[in-house]
Amino acid sequence: MSVVAIEHLQLALSGNQVLREVSFSLEEGECRALVGESGSGKSLTAMCLLGLAPPNAVLNAEQFSVMGQPLPAQGHRDWRGWRGRRIAMIFQNPMTALSPTRTIGAQLSECFRLHRNMDRRQARAESAALLERLAIPRAEQRLSQYPFEFSGGMLQRVMIALAVACRPKLLIADEPTTALDVTVQAEVLALLRELQHEQGTSLLFISHDLGVVANIADTVSVMYAGETVESASVASLLRHPAHPYSEALQAAMPRLHSREITVAIPGSPPDMRGTIHGCAFAPRCKHRMAICEDSPPLLISPRGAGVRCWRWHPDYPERWRLQHD
Amino acid sequence: MTEPLLALHQVSCHFQRNNEDLAAVDGVSLSIRAGEVLGLVGESGSGKSTLGRIIAGLQRPSHGTLRFNGAVLPEKLQRRRAGQIQMVFQDSYASLNPRMTIGDSLTEPLLARGERRSVIHQRQGYWLERVGLGARFAQRYPHELSGGQRQRVGIARAFLCEPQLVVCDEAVSALDVSVQAQILALLREIQSDLGTAMVFITHDLAVLGGLADRIAVMYLGELLELAPCWQLLNTPAHPYTQQLLAAHPEPTLDRNKVQVIAPRTTELPLPLSTDVGCRFADRCPYALEACRQTPPWLKAQAEGRAVACHRSDDIAGVAPAG
Amino acid sequence: MAMLLFVLLGPLVWQQDPSQQWLSQVSSGPTSGIYARVVGPISTKGVGNVSRLTVLESNTERVQLAWPEVVSVERFRLYRAKQHQSGKGLPLWQGRGRSYTDELQLRRQIYRYTLVDADTGMMLFSTETRPEPAISVFEAQLQELIPASATVYPEYLRLPAHPLGTDALGRDILARLMAGGRSSLFVGIVAPLLFISFGAIFGGLAGYIGGKFDQFAMRSADFVVALPFLLFMILLRIAFGIGPGQDGILPLILAMLLLSWPSSARLIRGQVLALRSQPFIDSARLSGVTTWGIFRRHIFPNVLPVLMVAFSFAIPQAIFTEAFLSFIGMGVSPPSTSWGAMCNDGIKTLLSHPGQLLWPAAMISISVLAFNILGDALRDTADKRSGGVGQ
Repeated sequence: MSVVAIEHLQLALSGNQVLREVSFSLEEGECRALVGESGSGKSLTAMCLLGLAPPNAVLNAEQFSVMGQPLPAQGHRDWRGWRGRRIAMIFQNPMTALSPTRTIGAQLSECFRLHRNMDRRQARAESAALLERLAIPRAEQRLSQYPFEFSGGMLQRVMIALAVACRPKLLIADEPTTALDVTVQAEVLALLRELQHEQGTSLLFISHDLGVVANIADTVSVMYAGETVESASVASLLRHPAHPYSEALQAAMPRLHSREITVAIPGSPPDMRGTIHGCAFAPRCKHRMAICEDSPPLLISPRGAGVRCWRWHPDYPERWRLQHD
Repeated sequence: MTEPLLALHQVSCHFQRNNEDLAAVDGVSLSIRAGEVLGLVGESGSGKSTLGRIIAGLQRPSHGTLRFNGAVLPEKLQRRRAGQIQMVFQDSYASLNPRMTIGDSLTEPLLARGERRSVIHQRQGYWLERVGLGARFAQRYPHELSGGQRQRVGIARAFLCEPQLVVCDEAVSALDVSVQAQILALLREIQSDLGTAMVFITHDLAVLGGLADRIAVMYLGELLELAPCWQLLNTPAHPYTQQLLAAHPEPTLDRNKVQVIAPRTTELPLPLSTDVGCRFADRCPYALEACRQTPPWLKAQAEGRAVACHRSDDIAGVAPAG
Repeated sequence: MAMLLFVLLGPLVWQQDPSQQWLSQVSSGPTSGIYARVVGPISTKGVGNVSRLTVLESNTERVQLAWPEVVSVERFRLYRAKQHQSGKGLPLWQGRGRSYTDELQLRRQIYRYTLVDADTGMMLFSTETRPEPAISVFEAQLQELIPASATVYPEYLRLPAHPLGTDALGRDILARLMAGGRSSLFVGIVAPLLFISFGAIFGGLAGYIGGKFDQFAMRSADFVVALPFLLFMILLRIAFGIGPGQDGILPLILAMLLLSWPSSARLIRGQVLALRSQPFIDSARLSGVTTWGIFRRHIFPNVLPVLMVAFSFAIPQAIFTEAFLSFIGMGVSPPSTSWGAMCNDGIKTLLSHPGQLLWPAAMISISVLAFNILGDALRDTADKRSGGVGQ
């Protein structure tokens, strides 16, 4: 039984289809990365998994379940039993994700007392232990401090502590290291990996940085314009990207030891306010064909990657010729 | 050797906080030659942005001197420097007046210089095309453009009056990867065409690979290493540079490549009073007692290379893993 | 807009002196132009014989009644009631005569007179009459409708209309509203204009220059906020040597100016501080724009929307303040008027003639509402222009 099983998730906001076709699954102990640029819908997907979609959103899915149980409607009361205990989230900006008027200790203990029914002293002891575990020195003293007294890296570790305090089955991390220095980022990623292996948590890691993804993920789902266009193992994605967008993304990333100029992707992402016909990436794709006017179905590449691209159709290239515009 | 375009000598920027004397930039000396691209790298709190602003003339240094084209610049921002040093900012939206059209924002430098209207109009059209936007953008307002488009306007505005030096303060950090690549390519092209000197400030070493001639590494207000681009990236001399390179996530499959550095035990910026020894000593795997006693100074090593480390001779240029 | 037109152009159209007192039409309801009979002094000619209670003359100046002798009745008592009142009503007179002239507060409504035997209480006669509008010769001469020394005068005169009626002293309400509007709106617009501009300039400079000047500016703003407004008003009036019965518009405006500038100063200072750190200002400096140029092209246009909104919200505030002060007598004084003063007057007759209070109050409310809506609309357009969602 998968920890997360999402099939054909669609989300409409004020008439605009912002999530068009999202499908992926997550097994126990697996770390899947959700990769995409701004506007691809990856953060929104994460919000849906927590029941935090905007109130006027219309959500349809063939399957939308966590641990076998279908998730309640967005914003429904039943979510209280899920959040914190079974699904937890780490947000992008630690400075704003913690309440500035409460001490760290209070915010951490809250989790323990609510979900694990501990009394105040127990909760405090557990909180201190958890902070120590996350390499925050002098944890006992730190519990009485306020968020503004911590640096960004420390705060992110506190956020992680908050998220894992109740040992959730699913941990969602929304760009947790984007706001951090690269050295701190390395620490935080190592930490997440450790915790994941220790507790057997499944991790859904959202990022736009393929380098970070390579570091931490087992499998990757690439999103573009509200769709999951490629779903593969990390190795497969890095060595043999199946979808033209994944390929282009890799080429566009600046490399430390490469003298080559990075190749930019021409054009820009489609406007999500209109309806999109056919393959959303087609206007920017160098492999574009006439058939791309139709929306490509989900196909399997020879290496086992799920990809939405006509190039992987068994009839390619006999039936369709390449057309260069 | 020709006179450098811009020379900084022991530039510092101190400020007061809670009656403590703190330094955002401490004793930085470097020079930039005409037409050269200098990459300025550091993490948060390194002082790179402040240094960039001092170079551009937006911030007054509390100590030290700057020489521009040989002439010592008085401490106050001089209008005669105006137009010769320009800046491209990180936040593309905030760098444009929301109530002015793109065209007006763009040509403001020319207007300030009193150019003729025909010249202004012609330049405006030329530059809008040059950065890939097109003349019709002149009538639009900032909120109608995407982040990448706005940054192109920022670049156009900076290069419009053909300055001798452009400071780019994290100009691509706020952009998506695909747009980043476009903007970097654009910058490269314009810079090489015009031969403008450039100071490119960033926290991401990787973007400098195709862009910079030399790279300067800063940490807590001090300049730690200065070297030609490829030498720094392949054979870093300072332990901090080595760790920066090691920590950079590369899309390769070697999981253990990324090494973890010991967490900081002090918060930034450091009070001057406790300025004893090398500021990196707490995190340095090679630190000796001597390192904590006396601060290292920037030693020239080979042609164009300088390192601020007591043990630089001992640490052979260790190539980072991968 | 309508308000401004109303008060500025209104008096040109409406040719009535707001101070003109129509004694004959005290506290009357809305009237259009009416014809009034000109009534001379009471004629002293004898009363002929009548067979029953007869109305000899019936107009709003007087009603003359006469009745015949009744056997065995020595003393009469005369009552007057309104048409639908039950009972006999108000006892007017008691005596032995056979005629009576009623001059008591006659209105143009139907009155019922009842004549009763004073000793036995037995009802004798009863009659009804509706007095027609009239104006005495004296007043007509006063109002210069007929020449002062004429002995011959027309029988009927046309009196000007009073669409909203008159107040307790007979003054046309509409005309007073217009005149009062001039005062109220003058104070309401000029005063905020002055103190908001001053506050904005002061605060803007403080925000931009910073340092000691900023400190000084803010501390003085704090100081001013602590001062009591009313006390200052009174002090200023004394300083100007204005007595209790005189117009105090100048000290009123001055007091508002001196005491209300801190709020706009702080507001603009905050805006300027936020703007100052924006990169586009840096960019302008780099481009060589002078400090004055930065103010003109960058700071001012970005501050303007906030300023306009503050202004349009300050106007209702000023109008209220003026109304309140006039209400307690610290503002304008008769004969010039303002809406607040009219409200003050209107209170006295609230129970019998509520219109006198309601009209000026309505005017105040409408103009306050209008300016509030204007402020909201301005703010909405400003938001839209800066990008809707904001930065």
